[in-house]
Amino acid sequence: MGVTLTALLEQIANGTMMGAIYVLVALGLVLIFGVMEVLNFAHGVVFMAGGYACDFFFVHLFGNYPAVVILTMLTLALVGLALERAVFRRLRVNVPMQIVASLGLILMAQNAAVLLFGPSALQLSVPTVHSLIRVGDLSFTVQHVVVIVAAVAAIVLLQAFLHWTKLGIALRATSQNPDAARVVGIDPDRIYRITFAVSCALAGLGGALLGPLFLISPQMGDLPMLKGLTAIVLGGMGSIPGAIIGGLAIGIIEAVSTLFISTDYRDMVVFVILIAILLVRPWGLFGVRVRGEA
Amino acid sequence: MRARATRLTAGVLFAAIVYLLAWAFDHSPYVLFALTLTLCYAIPAMALNLLLGYTGLVSLGHMGFAGIGAYVTALLMKKGGLAFAPSLLAGTLAAGLAGVLVGVPCLRLRGHFFIIVTLAVGIVLFLLFNNLDWLTGGAAGLPGIPRPRSIDLGVAVLDPRRPVGFYLAAATIFLLVFAIQYGLVHSDFGRSLAAIRQDETLAASRGVDVFAHKLAIFALSAAIAGLGGGLLAVFLRAVAPQSFGFLEDINLVLIVIVGGAGSLFGPTLGALLFIALPEALRIADSVRMLLFGLALLALALLAPRGLWGLALTAAQRLRGAQSAVSHAERS
Amino acid sequence: MPNVLEVQDVSKSFGGVHAVQGVSFSIRAPGIYGLIGPNGAGKTTLFDIICGRQFADAGDIRLGGACIGCLPAHRRTRLGLARTFQECRVLDEETCLDNVLFAAQDKRLRSELAQGISRRGQGTATLEAQRLLELVNLRHLSGELAGNLSFGQRRLLEIISSLIAQPRLLLLDEPASGINPTLLNTLHDFLLRIFAERQIVLLIVEHNMEFIMSLASRILVMHQGRLLEEGPPALVQSSQKVIEAYLG
Repeated sequence: MGVTLTALLEQIANGTMMGAIYVLVALGLVLIFGVMEVLNFAHGVVFMAGGYACDFFFVHLFGNYPAVVILTMLTLALVGLALERAVFRRLRVNVPMQIVASLGLILMAQNAAVLLFGPSALQLSVPTVHSLIRVGDLSFTVQHVVVIVAAVAAIVLLQAFLHWTKLGIALRATSQNPDAARVVGIDPDRIYRITFAVSCALAGLGGALLGPLFLISPQMGDLPMLKGLTAIVLGGMGSIPGAIIGGLAIGIIEAVSTLFISTDYRDMVVFVILIAILLVRPWGLFGVRVRGEA
Repeated sequence: MRARATRLTAGVLFAAIVYLLAWAFDHSPYVLFALTLTLCYAIPAMALNLLLGYTGLVSLGHMGFAGIGAYVTALLMKKGGLAFAPSLLAGTLAAGLAGVLVGVPCLRLRGHFFIIVTLAVGIVLFLLFNNLDWLTGGAAGLPGIPRPRSIDLGVAVLDPRRPVGFYLAAATIFLLVFAIQYGLVHSDFGRSLAAIRQDETLAASRGVDVFAHKLAIFALSAAIAGLGGGLLAVFLRAVAPQSFGFLEDINLVLIVIVGGAGSLFGPTLGALLFIALPEALRIADSVRMLLFGLALLALALLAPRGLWGLALTAAQRLRGAQSAVSHAERS
Repeated sequence: MPNVLEVQDVSKSFGGVHAVQGVSFSIRAPGIYGLIGPNGAGKTTLFDIICGRQFADAGDIRLGGACIGCLPAHRRTRLGLARTFQECRVLDEETCLDNVLFAAQDKRLRSELAQGISRRGQGTATLEAQRLLELVNLRHLSGELAGNLSFGQRRLLEIISSLIAQPRLLLLDEPASGINPTLLNTLHDFLLRIFAERQIVLLIVEHNMEFIMSLASRILVMHQGRLLEEGPPALVQSSQKVIEAYLG
């Protein structure tokens, strides 16, 4: 066998890093879907906006990467509020029009990016991308570690929010039973706003983290969004632990697969997995099998 | 009876207009190009409309089937030396077969799951078109597809190498598909599909084999999309995988929904808007695309039944609303 | 002559809940039969199993002697079974007349495709549809969209749609719920009339005791998934077991 242990470990590490990004995207998608039953196809451009915002703040405001990342998250949270208010609130039951609106947003955002930042990709040069860490035979940039640490921090904070704060608990209640939640005095509109804000902040974080590693371009969010979608299907459409495990799994499987098949087909692996899950076990690992008709 | 006569007249009139456009723009090859391209895209749009608008199945990967039709037609003509008609037929059948193979496992899925799996199938098809270099030419695609031969019609010669000639050939195929669409919608089969869209459980309890109907329309829809793809390939004389990727899948869905899903003319209207208009505006540069996106957003929020629905509502308002509850406002 | 409907030892559980436990009964002759029981008794589940919306874990269902337990819902309809739904299902975007005509349409895929473009003109089906609409006072609304009707009107539309395909067994799931008293009388008389005309089997799940007791010749009582009592209304109403089930 031509696959060495070193190569395998390297891919697992890469996969974990990409998996962390997919987890952030997946969490954003699963929150909106779980609470509002909306599939936000425009999630990819929010991710992209995170990348561009991060670059903009870093270059034009102050060159402190951690601060800029936080600022990016706050900015995208505001964007999320606007999106919910202006667009998705009205389209809750109309699935075809959700798709149209999402696609309209994608067109607008990607072309706005071209107009504002030019058609060629940007390179965001932060210190963490330049310094390397060596572990045995393998070397990674510090940014790899930053991504994983940041994602873990975000997950921990999110879980704390959902389980230990009033608002978070209200959010979980709304996702399980919106009518009951309303009866006990929870305002669903407020919950939807918060959900969108948190979801977009997470996507923005993903873009801000991935940006320095690869290039920042208008299409940078497309594949992450699709893979995040695969992750939540794998994990189970309404499940947060599912999104976390799904995202990691996708990242690692994708990376390890490049040891065995040509990189051209790497993307296809993820989508074939998606099709397979849907055909065999659509409710995913942790989703609830809906007891329906025969 | 009178209704049927009116419909027949309307149909003939529509066909006449489509054909007469060829003579109206005989000396504007660029306009003919835009119109022919529109007709090529209107065909897969009508196919998707049967699925989405009439049966309620949202397929986000439908251009993949158009791609199958395109590649099979192109390969048979270029490498196999076959004539246009049999190649196009083969492409259509290949796409239909693919529709059956995809439909059997996937049509069991409901709602969001079906949408996602069709999205994934579309992407996988694109990746196959893009990477199977030995068969599809990979990212470069298949250039140099031969033009169809001239047809002697007795009174005249139809030469597809001339813009007018190809337009007339495309128009004929377009009208044929339009007639099929019409026939399906107004048949008992179409009524069962409409029932499935409105309430699957009710349809089943009334005796409709929901799965069989869905499979039948899915396969037919895939075949028609393949027909459009084959026509497109021969028109552009080349096939490239980008024509059948994620963005194109999205484009097709937009054409159908924005044009007016569930209406006969909606897909054609949508194709005019999304294909002919950008051509007419010369280039789809970023400002225009941004405004386009804005327009889509506005449409989604203000016109839930698409442009055709808007047109119907406007027409009804002009005539003066008589009944208290208007059909078009029930959305 | 085989029994119209035979339910043999049917059971169904959801997780740990035994919705239906070993229910057996047969219906031999045309008539109006009632199925009653307190909430949670398993009536709707049993209904769903008979119609094919759910499949039993164990047991047999026979329609006219033929085993239908493993058939999907649409096949059972073609064998002469029809049903209405508790939540009342009609095709909202179609007219009343089209709703009834659709129910009459031959829905085998082959027939539909062979039919081609069909005329919805003055066939026998249309005349029968209009007659049924007339019977429930909906003839003047033939061209109205079903979605615009009042709840009671939709209920009546649903019932006549179920009848036009000439079923031999019609299952009605709480037809009286949500209906005002006037319309209830219309419904009551209509069901009696239909039975007189066609001599079919009507099996009705109901909570409205007055309604069902005055209609049915035989009542089945379910409680906690089992068949508790069976007999004419008078017997059931005075049965100690039944009274306890409702009060307890």
